[in-house]
Amino acid sequence: MTNMTGLDQQRFVQNKNYIASDMNGEKVMLDVQSGKYYNLGTIGGRIWDLSAQASTVDEIVARLLEEYEVSQEVCKQQVTTFMGQMLSEGLVDIDDQGTSSR
Amino acid sequence: MMNTIQQTVYEAFGLAIQSEIPLPELPPVSHAGKNVDVTVRLASLSRWDAIVSSRDTNFSNQAEGFVFRMPDTATFCVQNGSTITIDRLPGVSTEKLRLFVLGTCMGVLLMQRGLFPLHGSALSIDGRAYAFVGQSGAGKSTLAASFLQSGYSLISDDVIAISYENGVPLVYPAYPQQKLWQESLDHFGQSSSGYSALHDEYDKFAIPVGDRFHNEPIPLAGVFELVKTEEPYASIHKLERLERLHILLAHTYRSAIIPRLDLKEQHFSMVAALAGELEAYQIHRSTTAFTAPDIVERVVQLVRSEHEARA
Repeated sequence: MTNMTGLDQQRFVQNKNYIASDMNGEKVMLDVQSGKYYNLGTIGGRIWDLSAQASTVDEIVARLLEEYEVSQEVCKQQVTTFMGQMLSEGLVDIDDQGTSSR
Repeated sequence: MMNTIQQTVYEAFGLAIQSEIPLPELPPVSHAGKNVDVTVRLASLSRWDAIVSSRDTNFSNQAEGFVFRMPDTATFCVQNGSTITIDRLPGVSTEKLRLFVLGTCMGVLLMQRGLFPLHGSALSIDGRAYAFVGQSGAGKSTLAASFLQSGYSLISDDVIAISYENGVPLVYPAYPQQKLWQESLDHFGQSSSGYSALHDEYDKFAIPVGDRFHNEPIPLAGVFELVKTEEPYASIHKLERLERLHILLAHTYRSAIIPRLDLKEQHFSMVAALAGELEAYQIHRSTTAFTAPDIVERVVQLVRSEHEARA
């Protein structure tokens, strides 16, 4: 997990080149350019939704703790890993528009 | 004298179709007085000549509708899911034109109407529709023919028109026609080489199926993808959700046209919803022995036991 620590301070935001849709409660994504697609599942889909506005891992974890029964520690670890995967697949970008968000 | 031309109103995909060119494979409309949904007419489209002459825009959405040109044949315009206009080159037969009217034009028209066209055969088993998809030559039509011989009825043998109404996927029957592969029928194929997206419009010949045709909308219950394998025996495998999404995307009718129709998002949502809803299976069939009657029997057993398990 050490290589993920750098992600802690970053704000993540959805890559708008993807079309997201619902597959019986699970979030599926289509890359408009390449035609590749992904299934983010239910909670992955919720994390994607929360990334509509640029958010840090801590902000997303705070929202998930309200919605799911999970410890803060486990949640943060899993969201960090998931964000790292989404980032490497290009599903989210690091938001470099400064740190302001509504 | 001008008003004495009697145009037949046909029916296909649940639509009443009035056409200036004969469409003999379509049955006449079943309810007299049904409003015409689709008009097929011959008219000049020369104002689009520059657009359809360019490689980048020879299939493109224009203000008037979706315009495309088939070289040596005609320019077509499909508008609002309700009008197909044909501007044919001199000497082109209506037989050749109707391959494109019932093929690509109808595919585009269905998409404009918000229906999802899947490429394959659909059959009715116990009052439920099952779609059979696969690459060209996988054996869809041969399998469909075997289902017909076993007494099941055909819903479509090329374009499967699926609408998603109140959470229920429905198939609108195409027309009573069965196409079978015929490799020797290549006198059309010569001129079509290089237009592979439309190639299969030439590569089959038609067999009417008469009363083995099902002509009411029917719920779609499952999708089978037929693939050729080196395995000695046929086998059937259940597919996971993302695999279902894959086969529905891969076997969308004329899928290359969807981005040009600006319908990528609508199409993906529909496919995702269907993938969440429908059961899907892959049929591995042997290249050495294609035992279609055996596959028919196993498919029927499988869908009956699945249906009982769900009920």
